[in-house]
Amino acid sequence: MGFTYPTNGNPNRRTIDHGGVGGRASSDEFGRAVSRIAVAQICESAGFNGVKNSAIEALSDVTIRYLIDLGKIAEFYANLAGRSQCSVFDLILGLEDLEQVKGFIGSGQSQCLLGSGTVRDLMRFVNCGDEVPFAQPIPNFPVIRQRKVIPSFLQMGEAPPSKHIPPWLPALPDPHTYIHTPMWDERTSDPREDKVEQARQRRKAERSLLSLQKRLLLCSGSVETRNTTSNVVVLSGGGASLRQGEGEGGDKNPYLKAPVDNKDVSPVPLPGKLSDDVDMIANHVSVLEAFAPAIEMMRSSGVLCEDDGMQGRTGWKKAYPRVLGYEESEEGCFTNSGLGW
Amino acid sequence: MNPNHNPQSSDGGRHDDDAALTEFLASLMDYTPTIPDELVEHYLAKSGFQSPDLRLTRLVAVATQKFVAEVAGDALQHCKARQATIPKDKRDRQQKDKRLVLTMEDLTKALHDV
Repeated sequence: MGFTYPTNGNPNRRTIDHGGVGGRASSDEFGRAVSRIAVAQICESAGFNGVKNSAIEALSDVTIRYLIDLGKIAEFYANLAGRSQCSVFDLILGLEDLEQVKGFIGSGQSQCLLGSGTVRDLMRFVNCGDEVPFAQPIPNFPVIRQRKVIPSFLQMGEAPPSKHIPPWLPALPDPHTYIHTPMWDERTSDPREDKVEQARQRRKAERSLLSLQKRLLLCSGSVETRNTTSNVVVLSGGGASLRQGEGEGGDKNPYLKAPVDNKDVSPVPLPGKLSDDVDMIANHVSVLEAFAPAIEMMRSSGVLCEDDGMQGRTGWKKAYPRVLGYEESEEGCFTNSGLGW
Repeated sequence: MNPNHNPQSSDGGRHDDDAALTEFLASLMDYTPTIPDELVEHYLAKSGFQSPDLRLTRLVAVATQKFVAEVAGDALQHCKARQATIPKDKRDRQQKDKRLVLTMEDLTKALHDV
């Protein structure tokens, strides 16, 4: 459009209210804003490139005053003639009144109103000037908001509390809105129920604790059983594998060499503790047969970490004789389950 | 004769004026004034002006528009006159000529004459 509003250095100028109260919009704000837009458009059509904020506000104020004055004068003339509704003649008279300051254009008062100079001037203005419609669509204002009406006594179906109140008046508010009555929290306490509930919760806690302990025992027990079986297996088979290892140890692996060069070592009987149960030994012979290759593999891997095993499992060395301790320490490596003995 | 003559001529004249006015009011319905109808109706209602006829509101709007246009025109004249009197070199004046801004000064002068 090319039409600008220089704000004269203060950008907040427009927000300053005419009424003096900062920030609050008066009821007439919308009308003023609309008239400001209309006046700006008229100024642009008159030839101005820009407009100062103060000037546009003053001119819009003047426009509104003009409208109100014209209406007042026209209404005055209509009332003077004994009418309540204004006609075109009242308007023309009002226009002439307002034009009086400038001087009569066509001396309208003397001759018939219809031929008054004012009207002719107006006609000329309409015919010659360009039509500039308003920039934005405007809703019908002021908007009438539907107020929520308090129903009367009759509408509520209530009788007014005393005789001096007529029934067509709005009803009184409900008593609960303005009277405060204390409320006690009524809760039936059943001691038996409470005890039952308490016992139930305690049992639940005990059960969960028991299950946890069981699980822990199971874990440790499983490890222990695993350790004992594997120990027994290897112990009983240790001698055999050791003998086997003597033969082939030399060529494959220096580690697999027999530690004791003396080939006259007699097989050492199992210690009394472990050989108590003859059946166990008998059983484990079959187990040994089944797990022989696995045991071989485990043994070979266990030998690799023999140093660690010998250092870590000093307890075993104390319990058993030296030869057996070596074997045990071997398997101590691969039965290292993290749980101490 | 004269009394008879005068009413006739005045009658004729009135008739013409009447026709012209009705024609004008009818043409107003085609013309959309810059000041919107809702605004005019609001402020007329505030001052007590009662009219169910839309043509009258349009007439008021057009009259107000004419008034404001006249004031703006006068202010423009003042502004141009002021620019002509200020002694400036060619370059500055050309720049200023492009920007015709309505200021409070010009407006007060224009409104003073109303």
